[in-house]
Amino acid sequence: MTIEIITPDKSLFKGEAKGVTVPGIDGSLGILNNHAPLITALKEGKVKVTNANNEEVFFDIKGGVAEVLNNKVIILAE
Amino acid sequence: MANLKEIRSRITSVNSTRQITAAMKMVSAAKLRRAQDAITQMRPYAEKLQEILQNLSSALDVSENPYAAQREVKRILIVSITSNRGLCGAFNNNVIKQAKTIIAQNPGARIQVLSIGKKSFDVFKKTDYAPGVGYPTEAYKIYEDLNFADASSIAECVMDKFEAGKLDKVYLVYNSFRNAAIQILETEQFLPIVPPEASSESTSQIDYIFEPNKEEIVTELIPKSLKTQFYKAILDSNAGEHGARMTAMHKATDNATDMLKDLKLTYNKARQASITNEILEIVAGAEALNG
Repeated sequence: MTIEIITPDKSLFKGEAKGVTVPGIDGSLGILNNHAPLITALKEGKVKVTNANNEEVFFDIKGGVAEVLNNKVIILAE
Repeated sequence: MANLKEIRSRITSVNSTRQITAAMKMVSAAKLRRAQDAITQMRPYAEKLQEILQNLSSALDVSENPYAAQREVKRILIVSITSNRGLCGAFNNNVIKQAKTIIAQNPGARIQVLSIGKKSFDVFKKTDYAPGVGYPTEAYKIYEDLNFADASSIAECVMDKFEAGKLDKVYLVYNSFRNAAIQILETEQFLPIVPPEASSESTSQIDYIFEPNKEEIVTELIPKSLKTQFYKAILDSNAGEHGARMTAMHKATDNATDMLKDLKLTYNKARQASITNEILEIVAGAEALNG
């Protein structure tokens, strides 16, 4: 799946990944391959991206929204 | 005819002015590129946000949102976005004029002008329209390091006031950036929000899961989209400023070049006249001796 994390100032991350964990408003959400289409609001927290080499990359966000569609995750963060 | 020394010093001064305007043009060109990059950076974010919002609002009534409240217009805030510096043609004047037009159009309302950029700030600070307490007083500092966080904190302040019922309408007045030579003066209604046009051929028939639910996502998203709109206006104005300055400085450089040409011609004419004069005097003197 491809993941894109964008903020108004710049693009934080773009690339292939195995999974991503986002801080949803009602709790942490893990998203793996072939997830159903989803739109969720995010709260302040860390986004964890597990990349192709099984390494974990973290991004701090102050809230935002994430869209999952056809194995493409777009995180609009602040 | 002006004497030689005078012309010479004018040539020197025009020449150095020309150097300055030429340098300013180069600087503006470089800054314009950076400003344009910032706009390009933000575009994907703004577009995606708009797309999601449109997806949602086709199914939901946005008019219940606190930012959509239509009230009798008694208190208006004009956010006038100018630059901090001058020497950019009519760029700032256009905005200030437009703000004054809005003031004139609403004689019954209590109007405040929140200035972003020193040029507008200097015009309105001593008038009745200076913003009251609680508004950012040093909003012009935002240009020192333009970023989303600073812009959104100003936007948030304005949005809070609107939500609390202290403002009934908020306008943004700014120059939007088309290209380096063209800026278009825009007056946008910032608050209450104008509901997005629900596209009839619904952008997506995809069956999304909404987490936690549609309403909450919309309440999350609307302030974000407002802040993005606010930030975009500032970025546009910033790029427009550099574009306007570039054009203005280009013209100034051209004018200085023309002036130099004229001055040099006059200088040479004066020089030749004085040589002719000298020869005449010498010849006349020699004649007198011979005679």
